[in-house]
Amino acid sequence: MKNTMKSDSKIFSFFKYVALVGILLFLLFPLYWVLITAFKTNMEAYRYPPTFYPRVPVLDSFISLFRENNQFFVYYKNNIIVSSVVALLCCVIAIFSGYSLARFKNQWNKWFFALLLASQMFPVISRMISLYSIMGKLGIINTLGGLSLALLAAQAPFCIILMSSFFAGIPKEIEEAAYVDGAGRWRILFSIVTPLVKSGLVAVGIYAFLMTWDDYLHAATLIQADGKRTLSVGIALRYLGELSYDWSLVNTISIVGTIPVVMLFFFFQKYMIKGLVAGAVKG
Amino acid sequence: MKTKTLSSKKSDTLFSLFLDLPAFLLLAGFIVVPIIDSVVKSFQTFGIKNIITKKPGVWNNFANYLYLFKTDDFFGATVHTFSFVLGVVVVQFILAILLALILNSNIKGARFMRSIMMTPWVVPTVISALIWMWLFQPQYGLLKYLVSVVSFGRISDFAILNNPSTALTGVGIAALWKQIPLMTLLLLAGLQNVPQDISEAAMIDGAGKFRRFFSIILPYLSPVIKVSVSMSIIENFKQFPLFWTMTGGGPNNATTTLAVLSYREAFVGMNLGSGAAVTTLWMLMMIVVIFGYNKLFRVQEM
Amino acid sequence: MKKVLMLLLVVLVAGSFLFAAGSSEKGAADKTVTIKVANYALLESGYEQFWKDVKTNFEAKNPSITIEWVTAPYGEIVNQVVNMAGGGDMVDVIFGEIDWVPGLVDAGLAAPITDILPAHFINDFFPDVLKSFEIDGKPYGIPLYVSPYVLYYNKDLFKQAGLDPNKPPVTYTEMLSYAEKLSKLKDSNGNKVFAFGQTTASVPVSGASLNAMVFNFGGKVLDADGKLSVDNQGFREAFEMVKLLDQKGYNPQNAKLKDLRSLFALGQLAMYYDQSWGFNGIKSINPNAHTFTASAEPLIGGSGSGQSLLQAHCFILMDNGKARRDALSTFVEYVISEEVLNDYLRDLTPAYPAKNSMASMESVVNSGILKGASPAAGRVSVQTFIPKISALNLELCSLAQAVTVGKQDVSSAIEKFKASAVVKISQ
Repeated sequence: MKNTMKSDSKIFSFFKYVALVGILLFLLFPLYWVLITAFKTNMEAYRYPPTFYPRVPVLDSFISLFRENNQFFVYYKNNIIVSSVVALLCCVIAIFSGYSLARFKNQWNKWFFALLLASQMFPVISRMISLYSIMGKLGIINTLGGLSLALLAAQAPFCIILMSSFFAGIPKEIEEAAYVDGAGRWRILFSIVTPLVKSGLVAVGIYAFLMTWDDYLHAATLIQADGKRTLSVGIALRYLGELSYDWSLVNTISIVGTIPVVMLFFFFQKYMIKGLVAGAVKG
Repeated sequence: MKTKTLSSKKSDTLFSLFLDLPAFLLLAGFIVVPIIDSVVKSFQTFGIKNIITKKPGVWNNFANYLYLFKTDDFFGATVHTFSFVLGVVVVQFILAILLALILNSNIKGARFMRSIMMTPWVVPTVISALIWMWLFQPQYGLLKYLVSVVSFGRISDFAILNNPSTALTGVGIAALWKQIPLMTLLLLAGLQNVPQDISEAAMIDGAGKFRRFFSIILPYLSPVIKVSVSMSIIENFKQFPLFWTMTGGGPNNATTTLAVLSYREAFVGMNLGSGAAVTTLWMLMMIVVIFGYNKLFRVQEM
Repeated sequence: MKKVLMLLLVVLVAGSFLFAAGSSEKGAADKTVTIKVANYALLESGYEQFWKDVKTNFEAKNPSITIEWVTAPYGEIVNQVVNMAGGGDMVDVIFGEIDWVPGLVDAGLAAPITDILPAHFINDFFPDVLKSFEIDGKPYGIPLYVSPYVLYYNKDLFKQAGLDPNKPPVTYTEMLSYAEKLSKLKDSNGNKVFAFGQTTASVPVSGASLNAMVFNFGGKVLDADGKLSVDNQGFREAFEMVKLLDQKGYNPQNAKLKDLRSLFALGQLAMYYDQSWGFNGIKSINPNAHTFTASAEPLIGGSGSGQSLLQAHCFILMDNGKARRDALSTFVEYVISEEVLNDYLRDLTPAYPAKNSMASMESVVNSGILKGASPAAGRVSVQTFIPKISALNLELCSLAQAVTVGKQDVSSAIEKFKASAVVKISQ
């Protein structure tokens, strides 16, 4: 009896490891493949059967990225500006509305919450053309500021809900005590409650940054000048070129374009993981 | 004291409305108004000309909608969208819960694995599309090579994105690659909330691994499952950049989803009215799906 | 509280900086005339330098005119221009394909070139070529240079297969017999060599290429009134050929032109159809490609005479009032000249000039790459312009995919194509 159980669990743990290795390979091997392709020459990248490590590792595509295709870094800079601005503003908005949602259970907030949920559902394409003319009238088309606002609107709902789940975790007594001490509403919000949800704020900020970094459709429609484009669109341009493929360069760009977000994520992963879980599960 | 804190319900409400205001204005201006506007346009003859000359669209007796039903495109796109969503969400859930269970068991290096497995999630969508196009590349792609090795050379022309019956799967694989990490993370967090003593108590009772999973762990997980699956449904229902970059809707329209169809109608065919008609129906379907999904979950919980 | 104020201040400063970026440009534009040129080619590494030089040299010559580029990828630039116009910001000219003309005319954007360019300049162009740009008797768009589809072939592979590298096939039947030999070859890494490439991927330009193939067989897609007219032998034969090429494994499946260019550059494709400027793409992958690349006229199929479709890179002009109109005219006359295009046509984009005064320029007369194909320029059919030409082209791609990767039989696929194409182009 005991023996069969033991061999049973041996088989079980064997399958466990097989599944683990299988899934992790699926998730991580493509990244390795991109990495090594970036160090191959185009002629080697096009070799079949493919080589599993670069026979002659070269930095050609990195050099060409920095020397000739350095327009890429303009996209890069723009995206860092836009993503940072969106992340910052998103934090401010999320503090405001998140606090309101968590603290004040009134009829308006119920509707507001429903609006937040609903607005995450609608496809971006459906609002692109109208958005274009609205922003045209406001004179903020083709500016990084206008793009930031549109992206802020797209990211705000999830961030607000995420933030409100953090605020909901703060006991109300703390506020009431401060109120008795004569603190005003704004002071309570900014100097008493907000410091208690710092980790939530970090999560919101990084989430907004990551999602903005991922944007394609907004930037593709709302920005025309090449000098103001952001990364995903910029990469699609390099890639979507009609003339030919340069796979080494594409892979290099993929790496350089992903590094900042990966770093950001790993640097703050403690907050991120906590925040995402809290936001998704409690919201 | 109590009277003081609860003093002014009215001022509470005012304060909360004030706090909501910036977000509300933003959402109204950038999301609500454009969406209403596009629903209105779906009932009009509205082309590029109207934008340029600033002429309002003209009511056209549902012509945009009738036009959608004159060809198979809309029906096909609906089928593709639903099969994509269903396939990706189901496979994603199975793999994610498997991975989460494994990482949650006392395995060495689980924390380290948990963090590196998140990498695909932070890779921008356009880049993940490129990564998978490169792996799927029909002449020198890695997958072609692996398939020919595994099949002992019998399948030597594996090109998943070029075959109408497999192209959707190809895009689905890329979607899975990017989305599995987040779902695993959420489920893992849910698993860690299952009280250890309950699980252990069940073990003493002699409940087998599978029974323990289905009768104890799963019910605990169900709120997390509900949220993470609905997030995944919404995301895949809306998916656009993966399709547009990887296949553009081909081959032979096999990967033309509602997203691709609406974009093509509106921005390639330059017929904003019929593009808006697609998005309107698409939004309706999404509402029905999410509504039905919530209902289903509620029934199950009881 | 202080922190909050600081934060708000930072946000305000950052915000004003962001939005200011938009307005400061407008201020600078007042002194001179600025024309906006929408040009996807600036994003293509092969062409970027040429257009940058055009701007530098043109502005040095005409100090009162400034060029402002508007860029977007090839597939998005028309949207971009249309979106901008919707927001009240019209570009002056878009550099693009002949197939973009009807859509832009329908949108009310394109202006007849006769409204903007001087008559003596227009009259220099070949009348037949300008005819390809006419809608209701008025030309909308002026070609920089023209190209029919040409058949590129790899001389080295021909030699390896025991074929005469100076005797490219003339008819489709001949091509098939060549292809049988060529498809048995392997490249130096042991990879399969595809014998014949015809693009079928879902992009409008592939549709145009399929349309050209229909012309090769003497068929047609549209009648003179722009109505769908595909019940002809040539149309059917062209798609039967597409199917046959697929069944024999000669044609890489579902390929874009750039896929074909890669394969050709790497010596894995023996023959393929492309616009003449596709050679630039080949060269960007394999700098030594000129040693084995040769061109020939499009093949003759069935009872056709090998007619082909004219492709042209052109300027489509828009009217933004007198000052910008004049500046635009100066710009167009500057670019479409022997001085500017000579090196371009020799080194970057093998193609034929579109006007008399450039017919005997050095780069054209000495073009090694295009020598074999040159009679083809005289054998082009004009496609009727319809506003939904892009939608039609995409349907043609779908048809090609249906008979190849979709494994449908030609007759039923054509029936399906007709049902859906009629709706698509009538909308």
